[in-house]
Amino acid sequence: MGSNISHYLNKFKACLKIDQTIRDGVAEELYAHLEDKSRELEENGLSKEEASEIAVQSLGSPELIAQQIYETHAQGSWKEALFSALPHFLVALLFTSYYWQNVVYVSIILALTVGIAIYGWHRGKPIWLFPWLGYYLMPVVVTGILLLSLPQGWGWIAALIYIPLALFVFIHIVRQTARRDWLYASLMLAPMLVTFSWFSSLGTGSELLANDWMASLQTNALWIVISFIALAAATIAFIRLKPRRHKIMSLLIPPLVILFSVTMASRGNIDYWGWLILLFALSAFAIPVWMQARAYQ
Amino acid sequence: MNYGRELLKGNTDSLLLCLISRQPTYGYQIVKELEKRSNGYFQFKEGTLYPALHRLERDNLITAKWQILPNGQQRRYYYITERGQQVLANRLATWQDFSTAVKAVTQAETI
Repeated sequence: MGSNISHYLNKFKACLKIDQTIRDGVAEELYAHLEDKSRELEENGLSKEEASEIAVQSLGSPELIAQQIYETHAQGSWKEALFSALPHFLVALLFTSYYWQNVVYVSIILALTVGIAIYGWHRGKPIWLFPWLGYYLMPVVVTGILLLSLPQGWGWIAALIYIPLALFVFIHIVRQTARRDWLYASLMLAPMLVTFSWFSSLGTGSELLANDWMASLQTNALWIVISFIALAAATIAFIRLKPRRHKIMSLLIPPLVILFSVTMASRGNIDYWGWLILLFALSAFAIPVWMQARAYQ
Repeated sequence: MNYGRELLKGNTDSLLLCLISRQPTYGYQIVKELEKRSNGYFQFKEGTLYPALHRLERDNLITAKWQILPNGQQRRYYYITERGQQVLANRLATWQDFSTAVKAVTQAETI
């Protein structure tokens, strides 16, 4: 492969944030095109270097092709968009009807989430998978936090046995997802950030298991529902929108709604640590914007 | 705005479907064929062809298969689907009606 062609294809692949198999397939197709064109030009008397230079120029900007290919593959159908938003709607439903206190309903939704997430993970990670995966990871993280809240002594046992294992699973899934596209990793982690924002605003440390905390959760159910509906709307917009920058903008909807909801629900009565954790969780939504800005530099 | 370019942009899918419906073909051959059949009228950045082909494939209007040539080179051949043939037939009929109507109006004006 000539240096012009390999440079062109490397640039193309670096710009194209889609499934690696599809990306390599398109790059292979462009390579075949460039080879055909170069061969023809060489037969007309040009040197190998000149031929590959002209072939690359006639194909056009690798960034533009990558962007157009991305828009073809990154836009999901309405069916996929609604299925992606379904876990958010289910969580909203749990809070709307106070089913979150019912172990049977919560277990059914949890089993459904785990089943769908495992199915999607082993079926080529389709675009609708990532919000489901976020909820799949949530019990893994929440269990770790709850174990640390156990009486002294037990917490350390949990930290030594459970947390390394949970971290391994968490990091593996986040890495695999980010390898395909870090935007999907953001979409996946969004429900977790919403949940932590609410956790932090309603209480920290040992208050998490206190009865008044549960009562507070019930009082604020409407605002929590609004947060998850906002997340569902953002997910639908994310899946349906074609341009990458629009997808990123759609991820900024939930933090604004959550910040408003949390402030309204608590009437600004959040302690220092609560604000710190809340702002940290919400600023995590801005990571895609920051990374995209860096990519454009 | 270049009117000719806009017209080509609006009809790229139909042109591609038409060429692929004649025989299974691959990207570079499509570019050559478009140029040859239009006597050089249709010239565009070759790279824009692939997003269009992938869009047609996503919409199930064409399918693609990799084939290995005797010299070891690989090429991705595109085939029209049944749905693609129906869409093409509809578009050609619409284009025919449109073209006849435009001709009728413009000819009437010149009389």
